[in-house]
Amino acid sequence: MAVVLSIVFFAAMFMGTGWGVLLVNPDVNDPDAVRTVCGLPVIYLWGLLWFVVQVVVVGLAYRFVWVGDDDDRTR
Amino acid sequence: MLLTLGDSATDGFGYTPHVVLALYLVMLLVIGVVGLVRSKQSEEDYYLAGRGQGWIVSSLTIMATFFSSFALLGAPSMVYKDGVVFALFALNVPLAGGVVYVLGSRISRIGRAKGFVTPADLLADYYGSPVALRLLVTLVGFVYAVVYIVMQLQAGGFLAAKLFGGDDAFTIGVVALSIVTTLYILIGGMRSVAWTDVIQGGLLIGGMLIAGAAAVAAVGGVGPFFERVSELPPEALSFPGVTGSWTPGVLFTVCVFASIGSMIQPAQWMRYYAAKSSATLRRSALILAVLLTSCFLFGVMLVGLGGHVLYPVTDENGQYLVEARPGEQPAETQTSGASVERVPHDKLKGRVMLPHPSVGSKGNEFDQVLIVVLKEHAPSLFGPAGPFIVSLLLVAILAAAMSTADSNLHAVSAVLTRDIYDRFVRPDASQRERTWVGRSVIIAATLAALGLIWLMNNRADQFPVFAAIAKMGLLAIAFTSQLIPITVDVLFLRRGTRAGAVAGMCAGIAIVFLFTPFFGMIADRGGEPSGALTLLDYLKKVFDSGAWGLIANVVVFMIVSLFTKRPDAGRVREYATLVGDDSSR
Repeated sequence: MAVVLSIVFFAAMFMGTGWGVLLVNPDVNDPDAVRTVCGLPVIYLWGLLWFVVQVVVVGLAYRFVWVGDDDDRTR
Repeated sequence: MLLTLGDSATDGFGYTPHVVLALYLVMLLVIGVVGLVRSKQSEEDYYLAGRGQGWIVSSLTIMATFFSSFALLGAPSMVYKDGVVFALFALNVPLAGGVVYVLGSRISRIGRAKGFVTPADLLADYYGSPVALRLLVTLVGFVYAVVYIVMQLQAGGFLAAKLFGGDDAFTIGVVALSIVTTLYILIGGMRSVAWTDVIQGGLLIGGMLIAGAAAVAAVGGVGPFFERVSELPPEALSFPGVTGSWTPGVLFTVCVFASIGSMIQPAQWMRYYAAKSSATLRRSALILAVLLTSCFLFGVMLVGLGGHVLYPVTDENGQYLVEARPGEQPAETQTSGASVERVPHDKLKGRVMLPHPSVGSKGNEFDQVLIVVLKEHAPSLFGPAGPFIVSLLLVAILAAAMSTADSNLHAVSAVLTRDIYDRFVRPDASQRERTWVGRSVIIAATLAALGLIWLMNNRADQFPVFAAIAKMGLLAIAFTSQLIPITVDVLFLRRGTRAGAVAGMCAGIAIVFLFTPFFGMIADRGGEPSGALTLLDYLKKVFDSGAWGLIANVVVFMIVSLFTKRPDAGRVREYATLVGDDSSR
């Protein structure tokens, strides 16, 4: 599960802050490009979407992965 | 950050800002005294508060150390200048949260078991390199800490100038900030730093959210805010932003390395050692990832977008205001005296873009946007409580600067005392002597930082090397990013060698140095474009400088490790056991 969550998390980084943004990036020179959805800038919404993915991954890691990795056993 | 001296952001607020600021500073000193009362006379207690920090203190001190004045001034200014693309930078924070647990918990366990205080203690011990690697790790930690101390103290001075106006406000602000910060670190050590960080972290979180709400309200509420935002110029709503700086490669690598590099710098590393347990860091990681990113996305980033709406950077014809080139016509003169030109977006490349005249008159004054929004709109939004809330928000900016400055002053003291004095000067020194040497280092570092700030502001023409320090924020992180390969190797892989670690660090540091303004000064041939500088300019547009350093670091580390002797097998097993990877060899 740790490996899957790591892959999903870095995919979210790649999509949210890297080359993935180009998938929704409105063309500056196209007057008909969709720049907002429901009044929100498309890029901002895109960021929110991947933030939600990141939060879900961190939440799952907190609940299921990081718990068995506590330090009491090494004390 | 440059703010206009003599122009007070709190005109008409009476003595409210003075009272709020005085209460805040007194509270910090009281916390310092309480930290002293609770302390024991040992080096470990002074630097790590007895390794007993709970999750509330740990999460807030990690958060407050992570965010400098950049959180409240820099981030909104970048959105104001480049548009919505920079809001995506907030997505680096969940990664930083992950680092707190994934790396921090293992660092904490090893540190507790072996009594480590600094990053070099752990890394030099594992690789069996008491001199070379210790000095390299100390060097990157020192560079990071010095740059951030100088930047934060200077930011405090500029803020004081804006708060109170007057010719001497900057100097008084820097000196007062230095004295108060130094005092509470001196008397209470890590305990005082962490407890004051709790107050400062709380102010920072509140400040980020309230500032965002104020910006939205100033535009007329949520609906009108986004309606107006959707009318911004197309380049402000798309990638790679108005200036074209945020290409996918640059934004991605800055986000990755800003978070990881910031989270393994010495001050944070010491917070992992100081945490009570891994469970403490687990909670801190979750809080950082969720709460702080929300503060960015739903708070301070909205100030930048609101600033775009309230103080457009384009005129009615969609043209951008830029600084006029000397001798070039036609240029217009603003009421501020600035000589400017107007250019369309496609002619913006290579020009110094200017903010709206109400925000600033120079290219580096975009970061006044939050202060201007607060000054112009918050009093009417908050009614009679306006002066108090605005004062509190301005103190929150000061808190952001102080919380980073104090953590780095404390860390630089630990690094120089533990890694240099204890190892190479007087290995037999008593605990008491070491603690007092650490305190002396704090005073010396503060005085050195004040000297640098004076030179930067008064002798920058004669000593451009000092002025360059202020431009090194992201480069300082690029230096600490060079700790990533060896840290990951010690905590997870344990396949590298001492020679590989030293060679990799040297390669990474050397490459990052090429991107600093210092190399530019060396390679500059009097205006003639140098091939090396042209190449570096191109590389900067592809990836962040930390990424280039890291690529060199990892390649050299791996190759040299293939042909050199691994650390003692017993030590490898010991570290594997300590981090819980018992099967690792």
